[in-house]
Amino acid sequence: MASLSEEVLLVVKKVRQRKQDGTLYLMAERIAWGPEGKDRFTVSHLYADIRCQKISPDGKSKIQLQLVLHTGESTTFHFANESSALKDRDAAKELLQQLLPKFKKKANKELEEKNRMLQEDPVLFQLYKDLVVSQVISAEEFWANRLGGINNTDPGLCDNKQEVGISGAFLADIRPQTDGCNGLRYNLTADIIESIFRTYPAVKQKYSENVPHNLTEKEFWTRFFQSHYFHRDRINTGTQDIFSECAKQDDKGLKSMVSQGVKNPLVDLLSLEDKTLDEGYGLCTSTPSTSSSNRTVKDSSNSAIIKRFNHHSAMVLAAGSRKGDTQVDQASETSSTDGNSRDSDFFQPPVKKVRLQEAIEYEDLQRENGPKTVALNLKKADRYAHGPVPLQSQQYTTSQDIINSVNYIQHEMANYKPNLTQVLSSTSASSAIAALSPGGVLMQAGAQQAINQMVPPEVQGELKHLYAAAGELLRHFWACFPVNTPFLEEKVMKMKSNLERFQMTKLRPFQDKIQRQYLSTNLTGHLEEMLQTAYSKFHIWQTRRMMRKT
Amino acid sequence: MKLNIEGLLVYFPYDYIYPEQYSYMLELKRTLDAKGHGVLEMPSGTGKTISLLSLIVAYQRAFPLEVTKLIYCSRTVPEIEKVVEELRKLMEFYSKETGETNNFLALALSSRKNLCIHPEILHANIVVYSYHYLLDPKIADLVSKELAKKSVVVFDEAHNIDNVCIDSMSVNITRRTLDRCQNNVDTLQNTIQKIKETDAAKLREEYRRLVDGLKEASVARETDIYLSNPVLPDEILQEAVPGTIRTAEHFVGFLRRFLEYLKSRLRVQHVVQESTPQFLKDIFDKVCIDRKPLRFCAERLQSLLRTLEIADIADFSAVTLISNFATLVSTYSQGFTIIIEPFEDRTPTIANPVLHFSCMDPSIAIKPVFQRFQSVVITSGTLSPLDIYPRILDFRPVTMASFTMTLARTCLCPLIVGRGNDQVALSSKFETREDFAVIRNYGNLLLEMSAVVPDGIVAFFTSYVYMENIVASWYEQGILENIQRNKLIFIETQDAAETSMALEKYQEACENGRGAILLSVARGKVSEGIDFVHHFGRAVIMFGVPYVYTQSRILKARLEYLRDQFQIRENDFLTFDAMRHAAQCVGRAIRGKTDYGLMIFADKRYARADKRGKLPRWIQEHITDGSLNLTVDETVQLSKHFLRQMAQPFRQEDQLGLSLLTLEQLQSEEMLKKITQIAHQT
Repeated sequence: MASLSEEVLLVVKKVRQRKQDGTLYLMAERIAWGPEGKDRFTVSHLYADIRCQKISPDGKSKIQLQLVLHTGESTTFHFANESSALKDRDAAKELLQQLLPKFKKKANKELEEKNRMLQEDPVLFQLYKDLVVSQVISAEEFWANRLGGINNTDPGLCDNKQEVGISGAFLADIRPQTDGCNGLRYNLTADIIESIFRTYPAVKQKYSENVPHNLTEKEFWTRFFQSHYFHRDRINTGTQDIFSECAKQDDKGLKSMVSQGVKNPLVDLLSLEDKTLDEGYGLCTSTPSTSSSNRTVKDSSNSAIIKRFNHHSAMVLAAGSRKGDTQVDQASETSSTDGNSRDSDFFQPPVKKVRLQEAIEYEDLQRENGPKTVALNLKKADRYAHGPVPLQSQQYTTSQDIINSVNYIQHEMANYKPNLTQVLSSTSASSAIAALSPGGVLMQAGAQQAINQMVPPEVQGELKHLYAAAGELLRHFWACFPVNTPFLEEKVMKMKSNLERFQMTKLRPFQDKIQRQYLSTNLTGHLEEMLQTAYSKFHIWQTRRMMRKT
Repeated sequence: MKLNIEGLLVYFPYDYIYPEQYSYMLELKRTLDAKGHGVLEMPSGTGKTISLLSLIVAYQRAFPLEVTKLIYCSRTVPEIEKVVEELRKLMEFYSKETGETNNFLALALSSRKNLCIHPEILHANIVVYSYHYLLDPKIADLVSKELAKKSVVVFDEAHNIDNVCIDSMSVNITRRTLDRCQNNVDTLQNTIQKIKETDAAKLREEYRRLVDGLKEASVARETDIYLSNPVLPDEILQEAVPGTIRTAEHFVGFLRRFLEYLKSRLRVQHVVQESTPQFLKDIFDKVCIDRKPLRFCAERLQSLLRTLEIADIADFSAVTLISNFATLVSTYSQGFTIIIEPFEDRTPTIANPVLHFSCMDPSIAIKPVFQRFQSVVITSGTLSPLDIYPRILDFRPVTMASFTMTLARTCLCPLIVGRGNDQVALSSKFETREDFAVIRNYGNLLLEMSAVVPDGIVAFFTSYVYMENIVASWYEQGILENIQRNKLIFIETQDAAETSMALEKYQEACENGRGAILLSVARGKVSEGIDFVHHFGRAVIMFGVPYVYTQSRILKARLEYLRDQFQIRENDFLTFDAMRHAAQCVGRAIRGKTDYGLMIFADKRYARADKRGKLPRWIQEHITDGSLNLTVDETVQLSKHFLRQMAQPFRQEDQLGLSLLTLEQLQSEEMLKKITQIAHQT
């Protein structure tokens, strides 16, 4: 074996890779596979290179484990031991599950960075797919002048992603689907699970207590969906339900939230009324009986729904603002309670004072004394309200052009002298009128539909991608000029061939396609033009170089 | 600015003024000049309070002998605090303009725990406190009875004043009350026994006083020092306390007898309703208690408690309640009814007998106020129809006016949604209450609105039970889940603390841009006391017409009384009551001219003239004929259009000259003519 000094954590025999039998080794820092009978590894991946592992679904005939690398490549292992294939695979999976996160942090930072950029920027990702994956240019070229920016910027800045709040309806997104045989399927995604955990810390606690010691993940969520806890209108009945405790904790949380009271005195309903009627006085207008004994089950289920909706909304709100805010909150809280404790006739807590003053303020009755703001001067409020309208004509004329032509026409008109001896014949005059009337030959341009109405959206999308890719390539190409170093010389040659390859492999098929769909073939005219310009530039440069050489 | 209101110099602490404020002050001044009462309706958010304060303070300074005091009553603690804050602002403006430190004393009684000592009230120029301090005879006697006759009384937010009056005069007696009363009586007896042994002279002295009669009180009332107490009728002041209850022991024995009688009355199997004369006859037949000693009961108990030097009167609240009841029931032969219910309607198996002694005539409690003070002003944002208040409160106002809101842009958009998209008629009326089609359409309306309205939406239901049922069925139908995609949902509960928290979270969600919906109940605490300014309420949806629960016997009795005594038809009163609550609810969203909001009335019955006509003028005039019976879709389209227009920047310049005036603009002939049209006299 190649390196015996390495610690071997797991050995699995009878693992096939590319239809060859062999043995899989999981070592401290890498995973490796060697064909049977050979004493070297044909496959070896450092854990740090592995992005993730995937396993074949239960019930598939082949029991497989796939490793996806950061580079995008993947390796599939087929566990072929008849008796223990599943066990073997799960053992390998479990071990990898523990190992991979450790190495994830160590993984190539640059790779991470590239990965992140691709994930966050869909346009870039598309470009990557168009150019690198289809092998128009190599990955290094693609990243060449992008990573420069990354390395300079403070990584702390990049990492500081904006905290994303939770959708209020995340539970609604878990729509159950019937599986056809009296069962329900719930689809859970990592996002939803995270939302559940962030909104209901009690569930998270239960999860970490029970999974995987007592329950598998699947069982846990199954029970979650069966519980009264998930169905808000069900009343807590059994105690064997692991979530009954969660409901209690939520109730407790709600109570403590309520008992904390409110900071804004103007919404405090408790101190709203100057309660002066003593007990026994006043009209008793059907006082709702609060004793739980005579409430029907339906009543209490209804009030449970209401309670849980309030709790849910409060938790979602809190989850969104939990980070960073808590400290400020606490500070203001203590100060306000401090104020309340000294509550007396002449002392009003400052919060209250401010709120009251806000409430009685009539901003429009006062002379404006804030900084003068510039009001938006809208000539057409409609345009503002309805958003921009796409430019109709394909040829865009600058205002200078328009002014010039108007001037020109004015000039022409001023100097116009009818030459009555040389007028058109009546037939040609009427045909000219016909041509200039709506629907006539010369009026077609005006009625021409916008491109977004003529071309199906998927073709539009494809066209956009082509533009993006071409733009990227051309950017690289033009960046080589002036060509004054041998390196650039080499690069410009390469870029030219890249462009040609692009034209062959990407543009041509697209053109064929739109031809097949009988669309106006002029869609790619501009692309072609851009490419031709680049080529001619290249030729000029090349002939000059040849001349200089000769 | 300094204004000239028909010759009166008014300091107004702002640089600009709304035309309706000027008009309001004009009407107010005329009321004061005439030394009469007034009913003034002015939309919320048009600076009603500051106009009131500015004018009355100016009047007081100009005619210190005519008006000596302003008594400003409001309903909630925050309202009272706001008034004080506005007053402070006005005073600062005064001292800035006139250069002298003002010698105005203003006093606020904002809550019972910092109840003030009453001599201070006598000296204050302005007193701000809650309705109860003037209307509830039990408190008014302590706090307000010595207020000068030449005071101006203002009831702000007075749209519910009749209910406050009725509340203050009604009594409920349960078994628990009687048990506690029994204990009180026992304690009294023991204390008397003890005092008799130690200080018999004290009791003798009291007896002598009672023989002399309540002369002091009588003299005071005649010489007009006191606000009369409706619990203490004039007649008894002229008489001495009857002999049967003059000695302390006799009185305690009398109380015992009365108590036993009440206990026997609570032992009923079926509902009993009777008038006060019937009750008095029965009590005479059964236990030989005469009407006369009953009338003195409250006064006699007070005297006894004073004599016994009992410090903590709160311990004796039960016996005080019973004696108040005794006096009231024997004093008023009209305007009250007695209903004894053996159990609650909802739970007929659980015996819980209650004796309701309910006042049906709000004018009884407020009568002394109208009689004593030279000007009483009733004002609110929603007092329509204006003429009903003088009728039910039994007074004759010199001015009645409703003011419109002058607007540079129509910032409120009342829409009546009568149909769902499937043409199902929307209504909360009893027959279709459980109808799934209606509930679903209501849900649809809320869902669609949640997608187009920014920030906060407040929805009101007609009752708590109705809301619970609708929420449950929206949950089952998955409507709430879909709403959650757009906004967070908060719901009013019957627990005030819980609701406060929900409210605060609701505001937080509006504040941070997530947007939220508050489901709430008309007649609830939220609908009466919480404002939803600006983004806290861009739309209010009123699901159904908030009729009061009509099956209650007390309400039925009151309706009958209104019909017989005031010739107000039951339906008219119920509709009036429902519409004032609906107006209160939808008015929550508009709190000023820079604010804007949708008012959605989701019930086809709102389109009828008898309902629509009872909305305040400032809302009514914006309901177009085209928006009387909209479908959900049409509503959404109109709302979108409205919101888009309102979201445009709105500057002071846009308002100036139209709905906001400088002093010069105000003085122009043309504007003054226009202003006279703002006040709508009835």
